[in-house]
Amino acid sequence: MQQGWLSNWLVKHEVVHRSLGFDHRGIETLQIKAGDWDSIAVILYVYGYNYLRSQCAYDVAPGGSLASVYHLTRIQYGIDNPEEVCIKVFAQKDNPRIPSVFWIWRSADFQERESYDMVGISYDNHPRLKRILMPESWIGWPLRKDYITPNFYEIQDAH
Amino acid sequence: MSLPLTRKDLMIVNMGPQHPSMHGVLRLIVTLDGEDVIDCEPILGYLHRGMEKIAENRTIIQYLPYVTRWDYLATMFTEAITVNAPEFLENIQIPQRASYIRVIMLELSRIASHLLWLGPFMADLGAQTPFFYIFRERELIYDLFEAATGMRMMHNYFRIGGVAADLPYGWIEKCLDFCDYFLRGVVEYQQLITQNPIFLERVEGVGFISGEEAVNWGLSGPMLRASGIQWDLRKVDPYESYNQFDWKVQWQKEGDSLARYLVRVGEMRESIKIIQQAVEKIPGGPYENLEVRRFKKEKNSEWNDFEYKFLGKKPSPNFELSRQELYVRVEAPKGELGIYLVGDDSLFPWRWKIRPPGFINLQILPQLVKKMKLADIMTILGSIDIIMGEVDR
Repeated sequence: MQQGWLSNWLVKHEVVHRSLGFDHRGIETLQIKAGDWDSIAVILYVYGYNYLRSQCAYDVAPGGSLASVYHLTRIQYGIDNPEEVCIKVFAQKDNPRIPSVFWIWRSADFQERESYDMVGISYDNHPRLKRILMPESWIGWPLRKDYITPNFYEIQDAH
Repeated sequence: MSLPLTRKDLMIVNMGPQHPSMHGVLRLIVTLDGEDVIDCEPILGYLHRGMEKIAENRTIIQYLPYVTRWDYLATMFTEAITVNAPEFLENIQIPQRASYIRVIMLELSRIASHLLWLGPFMADLGAQTPFFYIFRERELIYDLFEAATGMRMMHNYFRIGGVAADLPYGWIEKCLDFCDYFLRGVVEYQQLITQNPIFLERVEGVGFISGEEAVNWGLSGPMLRASGIQWDLRKVDPYESYNQFDWKVQWQKEGDSLARYLVRVGEMRESIKIIQQAVEKIPGGPYENLEVRRFKKEKNSEWNDFEYKFLGKKPSPNFELSRQELYVRVEAPKGELGIYLVGDDSLFPWRWKIRPPGFINLQILPQLVKKMKLADIMTILGSIDIIMGEVDR
């Protein structure tokens, strides 16, 4: 697989990661182990990625693992095509734990809470990890593919 | 002499979800020491409808009517991002005319959104009059939308590969008339508000955000530009045909509520400039992509050129999303509206993550209101400009 230059830079500095190629817009995608993520996040921040645009979580496959996706950008003065990178951290469904990046990029605050709420990834060290959009008493993780909507009947069964 | 102590404990006050200045159904639990705010915790989710879950079993064309309910004051932007994501994913080009129509509609929508920010913001500060003034202009924008799309708010106008209908006869002239009228309207607002001492007293230095903080909290749109960062996605990563127009990024360096007000008012003027240029230069030709990629292209003819033969009709309703992923974004009036789309070789998206600007911008609220007075909460919350439809989705 083709490697991007950030991946090469990380290889040169002996940072453990795996290149996932490029997404459809040509943005480099890296996979990082959950255990390494908190230290590598600091490296990326120091390197210059100061803007966490979006944090998102999704269910990779039914019965498969969960992914937490981070879109990072480098905001500088007078730069038109800013550097972007996409980081993916995978977690197993039976015990999904990923370190929180709230202490590095504050914009992860609500977004990690939403990811917890929707797919049930526990972000370690997040200051207030609790449900944000669903009621606090809700059971289950609505955006997992194996989620069954409670009290939902198809219209043909309604009579 | 000691001051009379009425209560020695902190008071916890619940604001919302039905409080009139909570812009919908935001709920704040505020801890007060007299008038001073000690802590503030926003509670969300009263308008949560599971928009991302809904998207996972709808085709794009089925999903389009839902999306205007995210940010129901800047409806064109939600439609734009919903069609942009699959367009980028499948490399669909859109005709120039459609692109210009989109730009005009988006900028009109931006003005409508900023107007309906201005009115309630002033009402939060205690000035009721602008609320009625802004509706005067906003009605005209919605009349223009109604003439072109048939609907005033929930237009369902954008399609993959273009727009649903061409502009009706005489619309362009009406749009130009509106631009002239509106420029005078903006001057009126500025005379009424910008130098008003009562207004300045309430907003100057309130809710200060530094540049680094704004970047670190992931703010976008006028919130970021008011803190001295010239970051406008229309310039930074150009989409549609924004790079063909002459306009400037509006920004301020003060970072307080006044700066955010100035940025938004300045943006309304810039939007008028863009609309005027787009209306002048709007090209003829088709308003939707009359060809799907899977049809064979004619040899030796440039796409969308004079001699080019269009083969099929627009992309079909059961438009397939290939197994790829991408993150697309547009500059909505409230900030960066993004979609993270994962396709799965099926009609339905595997994951449709919405990155709403209001949701991200709201995060900084607890930090901003700490050590301020209770009455400043309305000023600060108003200057953030949230719409609960997109915060809760």
